[in-house]
Amino acid sequence: MRVTMPTIFRNIQGNLQNLAEDLQKLNASIASGQKYQKLSDNPVEVGALLGLYREGSQTQQFERNLITGKSWLSLTESALEHIEEMVRAAMALANQMASGTYNAAQRQAAAQQVQGYIEEIMQMGNTSLNGHYIFGGFRTDTPPFVTGDWEIQSPVLRLKPGSAGTATSGGTYTGSASCTFLVEIVSDGGTGVGTYRVSRDGGQTWSATSTIPAGPIALGDGAEVTLGGSWTAGDRILIPVYQEIEYQGDDHSFEIAVGSHSRLAINRLGNETVGGDQGPNDLFQILSRLKSYLEGNDVAGVGEALENLRSYETHLTSILAGLGASLDRISIKENLFATLKNELTQQISTRGDTDMVEAVNLLKTKETAYQAALVSATKVMGLSLMDYL
Amino acid sequence: MSGINSILDIAARALSAQQVGVEVTSHNVANVNTPGYSRQRVEFATGITVPTPYGPMGTGVKVQGIERAFDPFITARLDEKTSTLMDYQTRSAALEQVAAFFNETQEANLNNLLSEFWAAWQDLSDNPSGYGERQALVFKAISLCEAFSFKADQLVQERLSLLQQVGPALEEINEHAANIARLNREIVETEANGRTANDLRDQRQLEISKLAQLIGIRTFATGEGTINVTLINGLPLVEGVSSWEMSYELAPDGSVDLHWNGPGGTVKHITTDILAGGKLTALIEMRDVVIPSFQQELDQLAQEFIFLVNSQHTQGVGLTSFSQITGTYAVDDPAASLDSAGLPFGDRIVSGSFQIFVDDQGSPISTSTIALDPSFSLNDLVAAINSDPALNPYITASIENNCLKIEANSPSYTFGFAQDTSQVLAALGVNTFFTGDKAYTFEVNPLLVNQPQFIAAGLIDASGAHAVGDNRNALALAALEGTAVGSEGLTVAAWYQKLVSDLGLEAQQAASQKSFYQGLVEQLTQMRDAVSGVSLDEELTNLVKFQRAYQAAARLVTAADELYQTLLTIKK
Repeated sequence: MRVTMPTIFRNIQGNLQNLAEDLQKLNASIASGQKYQKLSDNPVEVGALLGLYREGSQTQQFERNLITGKSWLSLTESALEHIEEMVRAAMALANQMASGTYNAAQRQAAAQQVQGYIEEIMQMGNTSLNGHYIFGGFRTDTPPFVTGDWEIQSPVLRLKPGSAGTATSGGTYTGSASCTFLVEIVSDGGTGVGTYRVSRDGGQTWSATSTIPAGPIALGDGAEVTLGGSWTAGDRILIPVYQEIEYQGDDHSFEIAVGSHSRLAINRLGNETVGGDQGPNDLFQILSRLKSYLEGNDVAGVGEALENLRSYETHLTSILAGLGASLDRISIKENLFATLKNELTQQISTRGDTDMVEAVNLLKTKETAYQAALVSATKVMGLSLMDYL
Repeated sequence: MSGINSILDIAARALSAQQVGVEVTSHNVANVNTPGYSRQRVEFATGITVPTPYGPMGTGVKVQGIERAFDPFITARLDEKTSTLMDYQTRSAALEQVAAFFNETQEANLNNLLSEFWAAWQDLSDNPSGYGERQALVFKAISLCEAFSFKADQLVQERLSLLQQVGPALEEINEHAANIARLNREIVETEANGRTANDLRDQRQLEISKLAQLIGIRTFATGEGTINVTLINGLPLVEGVSSWEMSYELAPDGSVDLHWNGPGGTVKHITTDILAGGKLTALIEMRDVVIPSFQQELDQLAQEFIFLVNSQHTQGVGLTSFSQITGTYAVDDPAASLDSAGLPFGDRIVSGSFQIFVDDQGSPISTSTIALDPSFSLNDLVAAINSDPALNPYITASIENNCLKIEANSPSYTFGFAQDTSQVLAALGVNTFFTGDKAYTFEVNPLLVNQPQFIAAGLIDASGAHAVGDNRNALALAALEGTAVGSEGLTVAAWYQKLVSDLGLEAQQAASQKSFYQGLVEQLTQMRDAVSGVSLDEELTNLVKFQRAYQAAARLVTAADELYQTLLTIKK
């Protein structure tokens, strides 16, 4: 084949150009640390990398969600554990007070202690995290537990055998402290026959004895009780007055996403865990009653309250176990995501990062090739018949 | 008849013949770098033989002509491949440019922004009442919208820049066609004496090659020495000594309408499918087929994404409910049924209902369910709200600039929406997250930019209650990341990934085709040069050869002269 001037020079130019392009690509991939600079370098791999990046950022997000979840659950757990301590203390107190060796004055003092527990527990129930109340469902902006108005509760009757008395409480309490009115029947009989006396301090001091009237009996501070039926001497009627604690939150559980298709509830509702809903496991009601029984020096009631506290404690323990399980799930997820993130980082690195050893080696090879091409080009370009003519 | 004179004659012819040889050699040497030049060589032949008593005797050399070394077959193949090469080269350049705007290998790409957008919803679901999370979400969403519209804008710009190249390409085509016709005429005139017009033929060949780079052509040599050039579909560009021009205008749909202006005012429209090869074909196809297909896909993606987010967002409620709200999508005609009133998402309205909850000072006061179907007009919808006895004491609906507007009747009333099964709120742009319906017009609802408390992270309960700690709608929105949209059942991110991969593959394919044809053209060029190219060493050798022959011929003159001298000495 005839080799002509244009062929020689175009080949030299073309080859140098190709080598320069290879060098530039290698240089860019070494300098940026990324294998691909352009979409068209390898669309399939770049596409796969996009997916990996996306998964990576999802994983990071789920990890962030878990941190939120963990702080909610841990705070809930510590608040409930503190409540559990209070409950245990109240149980110990109730246990003590249920024995006959204590007198009315001592029980009055114990009632004060119970009031302290109630307040402390309410404070726990109003725990907030970054300004969000954690026990109120979605209503994170208002304290879930508020103290209601003074309310005169239904009377608790302690009747002697054969007694058929009935009592209804009424009136509007005007006092400013919790108290329990104790009415004791002094002599047998119904309206207009039987007599009664009233105490505000659990029977330490008594009012004068009066005949049971047809209408309501004023107990003091606006509280009233109406006695009906026939009574037996020694019957006791307790009329507790206390502020109920009400739950103001809602019934929604606050969930976060801990995976593409899995969610985890990270709150516990105040009405289910602590109370305020007047249900069987309403701790506030149990304690308020305990307090009233102590105020009224009612040993039987203290015993009942102790039973209620025991059943509440079982309830709380199962909630705490559930919380523990949720926290456990979070740490399992955390480990999982950490492993996944590692895996993803590795894959991204394998697919997208420049293999430095390989790239530098290749660069060296190309460099040598380029130099060789330059040497051979100058040799070929220098050859001419003219030099010999 | 032989004699000394005849020796001198032979010497003279030889001198001039070798001189022609040197001249042609110098022409070759001088044109070693001239594009399109074909090496020429002198055709020597022996002179006529004359009968002599000793038999026929030669009369030396004569120049038959000057031939150019030219292989029409290789050149035709070269032109054809160059045409294809130019096609792919133009495609590859345009696609590389487009791909650069979609370069997801760099930071701050749309894929990342999309992930960050979904992550911002997750963050909001972790802390639904957080102002910071709301603000962050708005900013992420704005960046995402900007990324979408930037890409849409770049595609528009790329189409514009391609269009700007169409005019000059056509001018060049017309110029080359005219040049070929002119050269045809000159060649016919020059060759009338039977001699080949080598340089003119080279020039014409060069014009043909240049024309082939711009547009796919076929050439036919005629007997008279002219070459006819036609487009692939047979429409003539050059016929003998006349040429026909091409021009373009923009069709009503915005595409390039190519015209062939034939003899006598004949105009033919040329569609791209009958063009093949050349830069012009690639320009038009890229502008009117390839890039629009990506534009369309990007728009579709944006549209699905907007509706996906909006239809979930309209189900929810923000930290506070509205005292007034105006839709962002306008109907053409308030009396027309909503599915055909020009709403961008009107076709997605289905028979269903939505609930309006009214609060008084933040506490639920009234609620009602508005049922509708796609045949409702905006007027009907307004009437349905205003005639509802549970709603009309508190709120009033109206039409403002053909958009739905709902206002509370007193400052103490606020209202919110829930349970929209009809998608009408999303279609009218009421309580939506995004506005717009294309990649280009896609924005975050200005209401939310100014007042992020309206970002609907929560839901209204059936009781009408809604609380600031409610994250149900935010969770539902964040979960849309995994929701499939569109006909192919891909998530938004996967769809975008596919779009990017498609673009990348197209660019890669164009680039690899380009380099394949580059190699082919390279090879054919070498083959062409092997025939037509000038080799300086060869020319130098030829030069020495002709010089020597010239010297020898001069020596003949001397020899003849000596013969004469000898003869003349005899006479003395």
